Amino acid sequence: MKIAVPIKFVPDLVEELTIDPSGTALDTTWLRLIINELDDHAVEQAVLLKERGGGDVTVLAAEADGVDDFLFTAAAKGADRLIKLTGDFSTADNHALGRAFADVIKELQPDLILTGVQAHNDLDGSIGPLLAEYLGLPYVGYVAGITPGGDKVIARKEYAGGLVAEVEVKLPAVLGIQAAEQPPRYVAYSKIRQIMGTAKIEERPLGALESGGGVMIERMFQPEAAERATMLEGSPEDVADKLVGLFKELGTL
Amino acid sequence: MPIRETFWNIPHWAEIAQYIAALLTAILFIAGITRRVLRWRRGRPEKRSGHFWSRIGSLVTQVLGQKRTLDEKFPGIMHFSIFWGMLVLAAGTALATIDWDVTHLFFGFQILKGSVYVVFELMLDLLGLLVVLGLGMAIYRRYISRPARLQNFPVKKLAGDDTYVLVMLAFITLSGYLTEGLRLAVMRPDWAAWSPIGNAIASLFLSLGDPTNQTLHLVIWGLHIVTAFGVLISLPFTKLFHIFSVPLNIYFRSLEPAGALRAANMDGGMGVKEWTQFTWKQLLDFEACTRCGRCQDVCPAYASAQVLSPRNMMVKLDDHLWEKKPRALHGEVVLADELWACTTCRACVQVCPAFIDHVTTFVDLRRHLVDQGKMDQMLQDALSNLGRYGNSFGQSDRMRAKWTMGLQPPVKDARREEVEYLWFVGDYASYNATLTDVTRKTAEVFQKLGLNFGILYESERNSGNDVRRVGEEGLFEMLADKNSQVLSRCKFQTLITTDPHSYNTLKNEYPANGNGRYPVLHYSELLDQLIAAGKLKFSKKLGYKVTYHDPCYLGRYNGVYDAPRRVIEATGCELVEMPRHRERGFCCGAGGGRIWMEEKEVKERPSESRIREAVGLEGVQMFVVACPKDLTMFRDAVKTTGNEQRLEVKDLIDLVAEAL
Ligand code: SF4
Ligand code: SF4
Repeated sequence: MKIAVPIKFVPDLVEELTIDPSGTALDTTWLRLIINELDDHAVEQAVLLKERGGGDVTVLAAEADGVDDFLFTAAAKGADRLIKLTGDFSTADNHALGRAFADVIKELQPDLILTGVQAHNDLDGSIGPLLAEYLGLPYVGYVAGITPGGDKVIARKEYAGGLVAEVEVKLPAVLGIQAAEQPPRYVAYSKIRQIMGTAKIEERPLGALESGGGVMIERMFQPEAAERATMLEGSPEDVADKLVGLFKELGTL
Repeated sequence: MPIRETFWNIPHWAEIAQYIAALLTAILFIAGITRRVLRWRRGRPEKRSGHFWSRIGSLVTQVLGQKRTLDEKFPGIMHFSIFWGMLVLAAGTALATIDWDVTHLFFGFQILKGSVYVVFELMLDLLGLLVVLGLGMAIYRRYISRPARLQNFPVKKLAGDDTYVLVMLAFITLSGYLTEGLRLAVMRPDWAAWSPIGNAIASLFLSLGDPTNQTLHLVIWGLHIVTAFGVLISLPFTKLFHIFSVPLNIYFRSLEPAGALRAANMDGGMGVKEWTQFTWKQLLDFEACTRCGRCQDVCPAYASAQVLSPRNMMVKLDDHLWEKKPRALHGEVVLADELWACTTCRACVQVCPAFIDHVTTFVDLRRHLVDQGKMDQMLQDALSNLGRYGNSFGQSDRMRAKWTMGLQPPVKDARREEVEYLWFVGDYASYNATLTDVTRKTAEVFQKLGLNFGILYESERNSGNDVRRVGEEGLFEMLADKNSQVLSRCKFQTLITTDPHSYNTLKNEYPANGNGRYPVLHYSELLDQLIAAGKLKFSKKLGYKVTYHDPCYLGRYNGVYDAPRRVIEATGCELVEMPRHRERGFCCGAGGGRIWMEEKEVKERPSESRIREAVGLEGVQMFVVACPKDLTMFRDAVKTTGNEQRLEVKDLIDLVAEAL
């Protein structure tokens, strides 16, 4: 099975985030990027599928600080092909990124496309459904387990409240990964160093980015302290009475 | 004149048969030894030559002097007696044979005559008694008092091996005495009194008279000889082999600093996956183990949950070298849980009378697990954080010096200006919220003393000491490189740290990594030097009754025992030692990366055992530590053991600050 895994780097929340003077974007001077955690799970899931049933895994990423290291780590885990899109991605939203990935993926013709179901900076929707739309393929999100079976797969889709559905999807398809079947494995530094000597990252220069269909950011700001919560005290009956009074006051009852 | 008539009463054919048997024994003995040596040679190379005279010196003190063996009284005296008794008896027998069949036969003279001979007889007679004493103690110990550390057998057949050795040695000694006694009973020489024990035995047989005694003598002599040759032939195949392997192991022991680990094997994956990837010296280690169990008795991992016994590990590894159907080294012979349980405290290495280095072997085996990505999630997260942020806390490196905020004057940036002391702060002291108070206090003391010091701010990375001991060699190298690069750009004279783990690797491993050499001091050493130089004077005598915990990486690894003790005493505290102190200090349980791993079910945490030990000391109010990790470990243990009212955990700097 041929699997493509488009991944993206997101701001690392360990660092303090600040808004730049324009007020519509993050200040990039202190920004440090890190792999989107769920994309890391998507890579792990792809490698697991390859280990179980054979196949060929291609990891695709847009150029960013630290992306090379991540790609080599993916190769050390078992990815066969590493593709880096080069160009200026500083203003790319998910629509633009999705289109860029779609162009390369069309050419790769994979059976399965795995990507993290979401990222914390998905302002204009997550990548998975966008990709599915651009490629004209089916999409299942919140997947936490995949059983391949010929020209289709069964995806375990997780719902809130602990419900799980098994969904059969015809290939090729795009799956949004919520969690790999096992946590992403650790790769020893010596292995990464070794693979750097043998693996190659293919670079694909990009033309102009097309971000049509995305969102316009009007204002970005730190959470502002809202009014304090009021604690209702007393016996359960008292609290219930007070609550009903409050609802009436607010006009919700 | 008293003269030795060796082979008295032995028919000529028996004498000749004995020499033929001796020749065969020699051949089998050499074949047996060769078989072992060839096996070691299948290991990887490792350089252990040089320092000839200090190696010979160790043989004298440790083999002839039995120094470390004698560290424990009962087993020490037991072994000393058997060793020296047997050695002299064997030498005596050889001498008598040479006397008779070489010097007497070919050159017509004897050494063993006159007064030399009677003294010889007396010596052998008495030293035989020493063997009897030692063997008696051994039998009592193994079969009557039965200490726990001799009990569990990961390889079942070895219980028989232990018995075999005792039975054979006992038989040789007793049959030797009987042979002598019967000879004296028949010959009745004038000098019989010089063999008091032989003579006493002779008196028991007198009534039997000849020729019964002559026949008995011949039979028992025959059995004595057969057993002796049997022992020699079996030596390379039984526990007796330690007579050969232990001296070799002592001779070839590492004379490098204890704190410098050997770089990882990278051939065929990192670390050791199969036994042939061990070095020959490690294989020799396994074969030198006598199963005495001393290491198990001092092992904190064994004490807390019995997952790991360093003794059983050596026994299993040795057995593995000879398996007919080799099992998998990882997963079948040794389990990951055993390997991860080791705190690398080195207590086992310190007590092992065979000078086995368990820790390097465990680290080599862990390296393979890391290579395979097999580790618990907490450890994996810690290593990922260390790789990305340079600290195990997963915090931004920009927050590393946050603890300095508000200090006046501000702590100098050693990257920008020259300082005398460059303080390598370490992760725990920098990031752990409960420790930063102590870190600030340390800085304030340094400032009050007018020390010209600075730190690396966000350029400092975890030193990598425990990363290396976890088995992540590549990450260690990366961290060491980054630190070394910054250090090489700074101007300073001495590197100081409060963290014994950082201290160890900075001092012992960074130089070997090709980085600049500079003196490295633990803050206890620095304070001690300042006191000695009169630059640190105290205005108060604290008068507390305290005990001190030796951090493994300061004490056993680097031999720093006295400096912290002198500092404590200089503050006017009375120091009371715990039973396990100095070389025998008991690990807190955090070392070797244990602090990053998930805690499994335990009977009693090592840190709790330690606190109970301290609480047992009359009137001791404070438990003084000289390691940031110890502070967190023991503060917790004081709480979990319910000793908060009884004992206070203090950093060395707390005492210094208070007494200033
Ligand atoms: S180093 Fe310490 S924890 Fe590890 S086996 Fe030896 S005594 Fe046990
Ligand atoms: S490793 Fe050393 S201390 Fe431990 S059982 Fe073997 S000989 Fe004894």
